[in-house]
Amino acid sequence: MAETTLTWPKNYNEVPKAAFTRADLYADEIRRIFHGPEWHPIAHESELPNPGDFKTMRLAGIPLLISRDEAGVVRVFYNACSHRSNQLETAVMGNKTEFECPYHRWLFNAKGDLVGCPNPREFLPGFDKADYPLGQPRFELFYGLIFVTFSAETEPLDEFLGEAGETLRELMAGDGRLKLLGYQKVRYDSNWKGYNDNDGYHAPLLHAAFKMLNWQGGKGRQYTCTKRGHVCFESALSVASGPSVLKDKELIAFKGQDPSVGSRIVQLFPTFVSTKHLDVINLRFANPVDAETTEVHYAYFAHQDDDADMVRHRLRQSSNLLGPCGLISMEDASIFHRIHIGSHTPGNAIFQKGVRDPGKLESEFLQNDESGNLPRWEYYRSAMGFERAEA
Amino acid sequence: MTATTPELETAIDRLLLADANALDSKDMPGWLANYAEEDQASYYCRAAENTEHNLELGFMFDDCRARLEDRVTYVNEIWAGTFQDYRTRHFVQRVSHRQVDARTVEVVSNFSVFMTPMDAGVTQVLAAGRYLDTMRLSDDGGAKLLFRRAELDTSVLPRYLVYPI
Ligand code: FES
Ligand SMILES: [Fe+2]
Repeated sequence: MAETTLTWPKNYNEVPKAAFTRADLYADEIRRIFHGPEWHPIAHESELPNPGDFKTMRLAGIPLLISRDEAGVVRVFYNACSHRSNQLETAVMGNKTEFECPYHRWLFNAKGDLVGCPNPREFLPGFDKADYPLGQPRFELFYGLIFVTFSAETEPLDEFLGEAGETLRELMAGDGRLKLLGYQKVRYDSNWKGYNDNDGYHAPLLHAAFKMLNWQGGKGRQYTCTKRGHVCFESALSVASGPSVLKDKELIAFKGQDPSVGSRIVQLFPTFVSTKHLDVINLRFANPVDAETTEVHYAYFAHQDDDADMVRHRLRQSSNLLGPCGLISMEDASIFHRIHIGSHTPGNAIFQKGVRDPGKLESEFLQNDESGNLPRWEYYRSAMGFERAEA
Repeated sequence: MTATTPELETAIDRLLLADANALDSKDMPGWLANYAEEDQASYYCRAAENTEHNLELGFMFDDCRARLEDRVTYVNEIWAGTFQDYRTRHFVQRVSHRQVDARTVEVVSNFSVFMTPMDAGVTQVLAAGRYLDTMRLSDDGGAKLLFRRAELDTSVLPRYLVYPI
């Protein structure tokens, strides 16, 4: 297969705009990254809390079925019949302990075993049901967050996460005992990397709400970890003070614990973003649909120990604050589109804020630096096999 | 008010069309004016998929009059100048209604919303679904929204939302 090439600038703070727009890179990205040696979060087990609950989704085209069996064990399967690969389950969520393929009526249990098929006497001599369970990708759980990888080469999940694991655990209420509140699902007209290149620099500038609500950006750290440049933010909680333009101040109230680190973001290579801000716990499962479209499923959670008032508060805050129509996030959605359009121009995107030496990569940043994205870009470059220009 | 059926249907349709007109004109104060002056006046926009799985979370969750007023502020003040603006056309059709008491009627209507981004100029469907409304009837024969849930068949939106559906 002919390798795609793209010459990368010598400076670490420059990204060729062609990386966002060249359609010929996309198939290679799917092969090297999405179907390659990376872990991809696909769901949190609290999305399927009861025996028999299941969820289906597609990860960069690959259909997956996540199910919880009668004993409570969660497993990930390819959502394709082991006979001729008819899509097995069509519902997005539901409760079933058996999955029947309608095409030739093969029947599977929630453990993925083939438990029945009509007239096997007419099959290949020696046919044995035990040889035809549902196929499974590698998967691992981290505090209930379910990751899959399609490569045997991928290192263990703990290694993949590195230091980000600790921030991610804290973000998922410390113990991952979550309770699903619901979804906001949306498609953005943006290459997946445009969606992912959101930074810490823009928050007080793009989002007028911060100024109008006299809401100071909290003080905190931004760090990156592992060779993949996962980005983590940990910031002191800031609550808006002074006169408010909002009549319902509950939208930006904080009722939880841990005000010293009220805000966390964990962004894992390639597309996963999670955030805990005020009392919102949000896991964003993002997937490329094609080179110009990224679909994001925003899943929101309460904690299992919350009382009814807290669940209600989280529901009211989650719906209106951080999603594709949220008070302090709708503008980001528009930027994803506009970055994608604007990147169809020659040259490089040149990062400035927080860059001290364009010849070096760092791993500690200020909260409102944009340079925190650069280690991830460096990993993308190397994962794609692109050469950096000589200094 | 004890309305005859034609009078009631006229009041309902006037309100449905006034809301469509306010939204398509980006007239947020006009949109707010279609809601009853009661604290519990509310607007929700949510995927039917969430409702079917007993998940209350929505795209918009304005469960009191104060939040409706805040939504006018979001669109007209906080977000101004940051998004790619788009035109919408709402098509609304009443499919059933049931009078609960002298002042209250429940109405179900279908909607489809076309969207035309100002920059691209290509029209597409933004969302389809149902409005589940509870309307307040007034003595002068008018109606206002007390409770509206825009329940979207569209579980995956084709873009972010600025204006209510
Ligand atoms: S493809 Fe499923 S039974 Fe044949
Ligand atoms: Fe933002």
